[in-house]
Amino acid sequence: MIPQATPNPQHGLSRRRFLQTAAGVITLSVTGLREIPRAHAQRWSPTPGVATQRIDGRTKVTGGKIFARDFNARNLAVHGWPDTQWYAMYLRALTTTRAFEGVDLTLLPADAEPLKVILGSDLAAGQQNPPLSLNRDNIVDEAIMRSRRGPGQAPSQAPSQAPNQGPGKQADPTDLDHPAGMEFDLIVRPGNRPDFLGQATALLLFDTRAAWRKARALMQFEDAKYQNYGPDIGPNPDDPKIFEPQTHYVRYTDSSDPGGGFSYYGSNDADYRKESAEQAIRVANYLNTTPDLIKHDFACDMRAMDPMFMEPESGLIWYDKTLSKLNVLLGTQSPDGDVADIGSMYGEQGSRLKVEHVDLISCFPGGGFGGRDRSPFSLMLALCADFADGNAVKLEYDRFEQFRVGLKRHACETHGSLVVAPDQTIEAITMVLSFDGGGRKNLSPYVASLGALCAGGAYRVPKSDIFANAKHSENVSGGSQRGFGGPQAFFATETAIDEIAAQQGWDPLTFRARNVVSKGDTTVVGGPISQELRLTEMLEIAGNHPLWSERAKLKAQHESDRVAYGTGLAMSLQAYGTSGDGVVAAVMLNKDGTYEVQSDAIDMGNGSATTLGVVIGDILGANASTVEMGGYTLFGQIGLTANRSIGCVPDATWDDPKLTKKGVGSSSACLTGLHQVHAVQQTAHALFANTILPAARALWGEPDLVVQDTSWSNGLLMTEGKESLSLPVIAEFVYGQGLDKGVLGHGYCQEIWVNAMFNTQSGSYRFELDGLATFPSDGGAAKAVPRYATQAMDCSSGRASRYAWAPCVNVIGLTVDRITGEVQIEDVLSVLNAGRIHVEQLVSGQSQGGVAMAIGYSLLEDMPPGIAGPADGRWNLNRYHVPRFHDVPLSSKYQPGTRSQELVIMNETPGDKKQGRGIAEAVMCSVAPAISNALRDAVGVRYLSLPITPAKILKGLYQ
Amino acid sequence: MTISFTVNGASQRVADDMAAEPLLDYLHEALDLTGTKLCCGIGVCRACTVAVTKGATTTAMISCSTPLSVLDGTDIRTVEHVAQGEQLSAIQTAFLENFSFQCGYCTPGFVMGATVLLEQIAASPIEEAQLDRAIADAIGEHICRCTGYVRYFEAVKATALKVIADKTGARQ
Ligand code: FES
Ligand code: FES
Repeated sequence: MIPQATPNPQHGLSRRRFLQTAAGVITLSVTGLREIPRAHAQRWSPTPGVATQRIDGRTKVTGGKIFARDFNARNLAVHGWPDTQWYAMYLRALTTTRAFEGVDLTLLPADAEPLKVILGSDLAAGQQNPPLSLNRDNIVDEAIMRSRRGPGQAPSQAPSQAPNQGPGKQADPTDLDHPAGMEFDLIVRPGNRPDFLGQATALLLFDTRAAWRKARALMQFEDAKYQNYGPDIGPNPDDPKIFEPQTHYVRYTDSSDPGGGFSYYGSNDADYRKESAEQAIRVANYLNTTPDLIKHDFACDMRAMDPMFMEPESGLIWYDKTLSKLNVLLGTQSPDGDVADIGSMYGEQGSRLKVEHVDLISCFPGGGFGGRDRSPFSLMLALCADFADGNAVKLEYDRFEQFRVGLKRHACETHGSLVVAPDQTIEAITMVLSFDGGGRKNLSPYVASLGALCAGGAYRVPKSDIFANAKHSENVSGGSQRGFGGPQAFFATETAIDEIAAQQGWDPLTFRARNVVSKGDTTVVGGPISQELRLTEMLEIAGNHPLWSERAKLKAQHESDRVAYGTGLAMSLQAYGTSGDGVVAAVMLNKDGTYEVQSDAIDMGNGSATTLGVVIGDILGANASTVEMGGYTLFGQIGLTANRSIGCVPDATWDDPKLTKKGVGSSSACLTGLHQVHAVQQTAHALFANTILPAARALWGEPDLVVQDTSWSNGLLMTEGKESLSLPVIAEFVYGQGLDKGVLGHGYCQEIWVNAMFNTQSGSYRFELDGLATFPSDGGAAKAVPRYATQAMDCSSGRASRYAWAPCVNVIGLTVDRITGEVQIEDVLSVLNAGRIHVEQLVSGQSQGGVAMAIGYSLLEDMPPGIAGPADGRWNLNRYHVPRFHDVPLSSKYQPGTRSQELVIMNETPGDKKQGRGIAEAVMCSVAPAISNALRDAVGVRYLSLPITPAKILKGLYQ
Repeated sequence: MTISFTVNGASQRVADDMAAEPLLDYLHEALDLTGTKLCCGIGVCRACTVAVTKGATTTAMISCSTPLSVLDGTDIRTVEHVAQGEQLSAIQTAFLENFSFQCGYCTPGFVMGATVLLEQIAASPIEEAQLDRAIADAIGEHICRCTGYVRYFEAVKATALKVIADKTGARQ
């Protein structure tokens, strides 16, 4: 039997939120494919706290319907969808130097003709250039708002106030996007020059799959025959426009006073803007006038990279006129933002469709890596509904189209200097990072901003001048993608470190060890590092590993006239989370004694659902039987309103139990290990206090029982002298007596978790949450539990940029064929501090995936910009080479003679505070520089242009 | 004229005018069997792999680039037909228990590629020393973007070793 999606049972949770638009209030809801993890849930991982398989694994390994691409309208009859389905296709801009004048479809035979052809000029005003709600990082967001209100204007005078998120007040997507002059049409209007290659020029709608297929077969690779353009008018004189804001971090401190001096963190906003330029000059003067400093200038570049998630984007949409409802089915990393953007698009005055509800059926994404985070695909799909006469429409990209328009990792050029004292102490880093944002504004300024922070590497850097920006270009749009600026920045810093070591004859490991940051040090923006890092210890582990310690012997073994062997080391200190993160989770006790976890996170394959399902095991005696991800509506039920202007400790607004700083943020994989787990576990503790313990007290007749008097064993709740209680017995009591069946918790983390006291049914407790609500067992609405005695972060933390880190050291051993220029990765050693490991198999799997992806973009994945690249619509996996089996070492244990990738995970210490860390990008980011460093060791040539293709290798060797 | 074949045991007869239709489209559109995945559509990634038996020979085939015309008289198996009811096959269990996949979009292709390999090994066991080569031949061209292949390789190797041990044990 083919599994079908079924309507989402309500379980007493409201599934809706409200969006205020110009045309009125639109109800937004997200429905998961709930029965997928539910199907075999009872036996997926029976031991509390332990995952023996992925919660979604059985469906995936049997080919169940789980991805957006698997569905047609006929599969959604239970949701009320019609079985008539249309098919959509977009034509794409071929040039940015000529005006688009229209389409000419006369070459299409009758059986391939579209039923409708929609041009940019046919769109309603709200559809032409709808905004994306991109708010992601407090520091960048505040810079955007500052630029809107002008330098002298106080926040209260700003034309658009800080966006609010809350039950009644949703984030206004127009608040943070679209600096003036950067509004690009979804479909180019005839007569206008396309803003970027691949921008849509027309929407074609077909009422049969046969016609759509035939048209696609005829038009693919032949675009020019079907589109008309005017004469060449040259490149756009306005380019390159900047995607504001730009990031400039300047720091000037004396080595005698590393915490003092001038820094972004140590200044208030007004002073920083006034003084940073002067301080940058001071840095330059110091470097120019101080004798004996060793200065190494560098310049690196990196091509754009395709995330190449395996499932090309696909989705369905249907406008139900009777209910004024837009029904959408998508696999996305950002269901919250996507559904709000779609609502906003149809919420404009003058919208032809009257939309009162938007419901998104959220599917598992077939890979993501950031490429489905605020992807324009959702808006392109949404547009189809307006012209489909009440029919369902399917929009599915093939791989050519996905390459042509799917979000890319930014190409980047970096240059700068690394300056070191003769005693091997780093004195300064200066760096300019210029990211190619491509056509449509996505998360580029946020990526640039984090890239600037990563430029300091994992080192103490007393003086720095780091500038990063992202520019508009005609290229395919850049998105967030795994690493978020880290891959570009760490590559520059780590190769520069290595080059100085090589030139000076220093041991590259010792040189690094002398300069690494540790807890109590400060970052390149001057922010405190309050997490335990253990980089010195990690370097020691790497140094003692035979891949490094016996590198001379390995070189001798591998080398021949034709083959060179080299070893390279690099490290990274990837920040994860943002400068302030809100997360929300619900934990419910079901009537049958099983648990359900709900989270706003998305599982993109990284295993978040599995992890969140098992981390309640030790607290509640059993793993969750079901985990529902993408809980977009959870925050709306907790009784909090998010207000970005809320401050820090002295700010009395934290005393208002109805306020928080941020509702929920991105659905990034890196947030699982620490943030999402934290929210789920704290909420599980609250469920124990509010439901399990009161039930146990009553059942045992022990009204004074406290948490510490109880323990779990084999799923039974124990206390001394009493018969143990099974979960079904507890659940029967809870439902029979009308106790609360579930708890909803919200956490906000900005250096620390905001924490507060809450009154529960078993007493008052301090939880690391800033919001709590309970769900009654009769299915009624959530009831807020007001917090009190709130402890919030220190004021300065708002300018720390990041507060959570995942350190990694990579060692690479590789061979180079001097004749062909081919490089083979022989061995990889990754030493990773991931804090607490919740599911080891998921952590190592993420690490292995990160290593493979890094090998890909370091050596194989080569995508030119402009029309020579994928924007021409002719790119597929035959031209864009991602790593395969033979490109990666497959043994997970180092053993000379076999190709291996060994992962050493640092043991957990009390300093980890039982918390995990986000990790995939952590491992990935230092692989590329380690490869460049190994090549330098192998052949004595420094390669700084990624990907390092065989042609570049040979050029370096022989020219 | 019609083209006749079976899919997961069910007979299919399609008119000649569909001869050029790729098997993948037929599975998706005519049969609503969407377990077999489309990724590249041009025969590079092998996400669309199915098992095709003709006579005594079973081959792993890429359904995106195989027209119905060449399938006359064949028996086709897709990922939906590998488990026996609730009972997963050995390789499905191995992938599951070894956390071999992440997003899972490539998984049906790996399941089918490995299934054909294991059947071939069961039919004519190979030496253990030849196994890595045989695995590389069977799934070395499959693309997975999430995992780095390590856990797929481990699961296939462990399962294949069991098959070899069973077979050679049975022969002794
Ligand atoms: S989809 Fe068939 S080989 Fe890629
Ligand atoms: S598991 Fe995602 S592509 Fe293989």
